Amino acid sequence: MKTLENSPTVSRRSRLLAGAAAAAAILALSAGSASAAANCIKGDRKAPYTVGWANIYSVPTWMKQTEGTIAAEVEELKKAGLVKDLMITDAQGNAQTQIQHIQSMIDANVDAIVVIAGSSNALDRVISDACDKGIAVVNFDSLVNTDKVTAKINTDSSEWGAGAAKWLADQLGGKGKIIVMNGPAGISVSDDRRKGAQPVLDANPDLEIITETNTEYNVAPAQEAMTSLLFVNPEIDGVLSLGGAISAGSVMAFDRQGREQVPITGENARQFLELWKEKGLKGWATMQPNWLGALSVYTAVQALEGKDVPAFVKVPLPVIDDSTIDTYLARADQFPADGYIYSDYDKALFDKLLAQ
Amino acid sequence: MSAIPSSGWLYGAIQRGRNRGLGGLYLVVAAFLVLYAVLFPGILSVSGFSKFTQNWFPLALVTMAQALLMLNGGITLAIGPLVSLGAVIAATTMGGALGVPGGILAVALAGLAIGAVIGAIVAHLRLPAIIVTLAGSFIITGVALILLPRPGGFIPDWLSTTLAGHTPVAFLLLVAILLAWKAFLATPLGIGIYAAGDNPIGAFRSGVPVERVKIVAFALSGLLAALAGLFVAAQTGSGDPVIGTPFTLNSIAAAVLGGVGFLGGKGTMRGAICGSLLLSVMINVMFFLGFPPVAQYVAQGLIIVGAVAVPELLKQWRARR
Repeated sequence: MKTLENSPTVSRRSRLLAGAAAAAAILALSAGSASAAANCIKGDRKAPYTVGWANIYSVPTWMKQTEGTIAAEVEELKKAGLVKDLMITDAQGNAQTQIQHIQSMIDANVDAIVVIAGSSNALDRVISDACDKGIAVVNFDSLVNTDKVTAKINTDSSEWGAGAAKWLADQLGGKGKIIVMNGPAGISVSDDRRKGAQPVLDANPDLEIITETNTEYNVAPAQEAMTSLLFVNPEIDGVLSLGGAISAGSVMAFDRQGREQVPITGENARQFLELWKEKGLKGWATMQPNWLGALSVYTAVQALEGKDVPAFVKVPLPVIDDSTIDTYLARADQFPADGYIYSDYDKALFDKLLAQ
Repeated sequence: MSAIPSSGWLYGAIQRGRNRGLGGLYLVVAAFLVLYAVLFPGILSVSGFSKFTQNWFPLALVTMAQALLMLNGGITLAIGPLVSLGAVIAATTMGGALGVPGGILAVALAGLAIGAVIGAIVAHLRLPAIIVTLAGSFIITGVALILLPRPGGFIPDWLSTTLAGHTPVAFLLLVAILLAWKAFLATPLGIGIYAAGDNPIGAFRSGVPVERVKIVAFALSGLLAALAGLFVAAQTGSGDPVIGTPFTLNSIAAAVLGGVGFLGGKGTMRGAICGSLLLSVMINVMFFLGFPPVAQYVAQGLIIVGAVAVPELLKQWRARR
């Protein structure tokens, strides 16, 4: 409670400081950040902490499941006496609203902000404001540009693409006709995954890409797209599908047309994993684990507790193949029918990831 | 405000009459502001006030841009793309040879020119504004994406700090723009906007250059939307080719909430501004009340319906008395 401007018990009068004085105070505060362990942390905040979860859009199933892991982690940390409150906002897809929410979190003097960014640039200034106030900011999944955050947490999209392409090349013995199914055009994740696959495809010149499509990460549009591709292409040896429920849509299209299933890559969508087992597919899948949300909350609290955390936490992509798919399907009923079966996680895993 | 001394009494009476329909909205907005100040006293500090008004400012500008056209009997679906384009032009030109003044000029000219072209098409070809602006929105979005395919660009730090730092510059700018609007309304062209919206044929026969008024209205609307984009770029420190998208719908919502009618000539700018203030303050109040996101969707709808219904109920109650 040494820095009065920053404490929750700040009096109303001191909030009425003139702008110049406030600016000076902020300068003074940021000057003191050098001594703290992790980025943004000043060491003046004491447990139990208030955590703000600034979501860009809460409606998709992946987001709901991610929020579930955050809420579960907060419950754990509450039991340990480290967290007292979780504030959740949903910007309804509007980056401008997300700025307003994060500003409100700063105003409410939360101790930590966990955020999926709605725009890689738009949040930079408000997030560095939060950092200047000594708030632990942890950014995951969709990242911001600024480095004034406590930590950024993500998997590597380009490794995703490379891993999928490599598996498919091995399956086909480096030879055959394949279709590439991408996520939406102009989205950085779908772009990065595709780029990651390219070097592998270049190294296997006998793998011929017959055609490529972009669809939403949903079953119906993917099934529709694949159905029309099946009509024009009598010979297909493999499908390189790069995420979401696209693979499930593709498998269903093959099924409806009475075509023989071919090796296919995909994501941990429950529907795809169930089809994989049911149709006896040759499959491979990875995932953007929903527990990145839980890990982010954990990381923020660790940083607030004075532990050093890496500025960038690279989470290795968990891989699902024939040897591990049963362990995933065994837990299927704990996940929504249109949801994602993510790999198991625990505190030991988080500690290991943060020790990188 | 700019009361006309010779007819001060009449002016006052007219303004009272126009305010009456807005009494309910004023009440709702005031209640929300008080509630916000109770929940977060920091809003009363210079810094808190500045940050709050900065988040409201772009919405206030685009609401003016929308209300301006609705008063004239038009509507625009190109607001969001124009905001994006304004942000993109600002972020791509300010690092160049002409610097910040050049960037501001480029944004203003682009807004004025695009608005004027759309206005000319609507006025002279007699095409429905909703179709022309819908088509325009696709073109403008495309141009913004060509200029800046991914979020980026450059805005000087000092500009960001001046416009969106810990001082209420944005609020003062809004006051200045509102005063300018007030002054504009005192010119024949300004009155023409209302007149041509309310009764185009009558206005034409009274000597209002209806087509020119329409083009001016679209040009000014384009200018306001592009300047909102410039501000967004300064606030975020960069350009984003799709950041404006949600503004289209929000500008219409705020204007209608403020009592501006779809048929032209009905409504006031002050009402529209109040509508935008309600949309903005609502987000913060719901945050501080700790509403979960799902409840926020519901509450948002209820507040909007309530804000429109309360003035209507007051009117009926008054009529019965």
